[in-house]
Amino acid sequence: MADKESLLKELSRCVLEMEDEEVIPVAQEYADSGFDAAEGIMQGLVPGMNQAADLYEQEEYFIPELMVCSAAMYNGLDVLKPLIPKENTASKGKAVIGVVEGDTHDIGKNLVKVMMEAAGYEMIDLGKDVPVEEFVERVREEQADFVCMSTLMTTSMNNMQRVIDSLKEQGLRDQVKIMVGGGPISQNFADKIGADGYSVTAVEAVKLADRLREL
Amino acid sequence: MITEKERLKQVFCHEKPDRPPCICPGGMMNMITTELMDTCGAVWPQAHTDAEMMAQLALANYEQGCFENVGVPFCMTVEAEALGAQVSMGSKAVEPHVAQYVIDSVTEWRKLKPLNVNEGRAKVVLDAIRILKSKNLPVPIIGNITGPVSTAGSVLEPVVFYKELRKRNQEAHELMGFVTEQILDFARAQIEAGADVIAISDPSGTGEILGPRFFQEFAVTYLNQLLDGLQSEKMGTIVHICGQMRSVYEQVDQIHSDALSFDSIVPMKKARENLKGRILMGNVSTYALEFGSPEQIEKMTRNCAADGSDILSPACGLGTKSPLKNVQAILQTLKKDEVLVNA
Repeated sequence: MADKESLLKELSRCVLEMEDEEVIPVAQEYADSGFDAAEGIMQGLVPGMNQAADLYEQEEYFIPELMVCSAAMYNGLDVLKPLIPKENTASKGKAVIGVVEGDTHDIGKNLVKVMMEAAGYEMIDLGKDVPVEEFVERVREEQADFVCMSTLMTTSMNNMQRVIDSLKEQGLRDQVKIMVGGGPISQNFADKIGADGYSVTAVEAVKLADRLREL
Repeated sequence: MITEKERLKQVFCHEKPDRPPCICPGGMMNMITTELMDTCGAVWPQAHTDAEMMAQLALANYEQGCFENVGVPFCMTVEAEALGAQVSMGSKAVEPHVAQYVIDSVTEWRKLKPLNVNEGRAKVVLDAIRILKSKNLPVPIIGNITGPVSTAGSVLEPVVFYKELRKRNQEAHELMGFVTEQILDFARAQIEAGADVIAISDPSGTGEILGPRFFQEFAVTYLNQLLDGLQSEKMGTIVHICGQMRSVYEQVDQIHSDALSFDSIVPMKKARENLKGRILMGNVSTYALEFGSPEQIEKMTRNCAADGSDILSPACGLGTKSPLKNVQAILQTLKKDEVLVNA
């Protein structure tokens, strides 16, 4: 039987090298050997995804590659996650994420979701073309710590403002940190609409969330 | 006095016109704003399904001094809808978008409907072109096509599609081949109906998303198949590429279109350096067009022209809330400068 170290390395490799099918028996072998599932995620799958993100930033990997890497990560997670006792799943916080109303471009949003999930955040994905009310409703229901909004279209940018205004009206604004991103968004725009932060890339989004939760 | 149509033709023939034309094709490169709708009474979403209104709105853009062309349609969902996707028509301020995909995997491409140019909104677009043609306008008529990668990414979930470019490479090519044939039929019918120019936008098929290898293998290959399949009796073709181009200039230069248009993220100067001898179109920031002032637009227009743009245009589709006075500022600047030159 393979030792823990080499199985962890193999999990990382499967994610990094886009082995979205091979990762399943590897994760299974790791679990069957009685090794710690949480460690398998944090020391195996996640480092692989982080390396893939590095390659993306270096323009070695592009979206098709990242999509297969994240599929591999999720396939591994499906095996390992159920094995972690509920009380041990230390989450860095709960985030509601979605593409604002009027826009269906969700690749960027999906990347942020994957990277934040890999970093230990619990992500509630509302999908794309999400109405203002739904963001607000889910923040209330889920007692979320973060709201992450994205859009690729100038025509939809104002809906971010509407979500923030509505959160204020409902008295929920102070309970959440608001992060925005997407092609036409800038730090300037984020400041203007009263968001807590803006990030250019999905990797930056994780760093931003980490900074915001320290505040 | 040279007509707008002749001026654009000169550019396509690599001749030097008196000044650059000011063009916004339509399609993904939308030129319609709510303020423009208010000037003519034709409004979204009705204008997406009514040929008279579509033509009226296209014409209003020219009559109001925005751009020196007419063009239809005003969205990038006609092709996907014809192939079987469900489309939400949006509202006065929101453009139509795909609400439900047709297939779950590239392997299911045989389930797609062939694009019938005699029914649905494909016919509406062709009728609108015929109406515009019958008016004998001095401006070029531009027919717009959603590029092969973007059309494919509109009939199935793009994330799955991107993944399967790798995992199901052969079937991905089969899907792309089918989709390209369908949109080629539509583009050819647009030329037959009277379109002078075909503009193809492929926002999902960018170098930034796909990387150089897949950009070549999927975007360039099928764009060229489409361009090469068009009738020769047309004035010209435009391909609009979104996103950063620095990693794919070499591949972009292999696209067989007459003109290349791109995003405001690409500095015109850099594009000019890297695409010598190509006709370049662009790229006044649509953010500035929506949120800036006519003075800013004037400055940007001059910079763009000075940096090597042959055809002045917005860098992307206009936001529907862009003020008319901003949109009009591009053409006004070009006309003003022409007077200065001739004085």
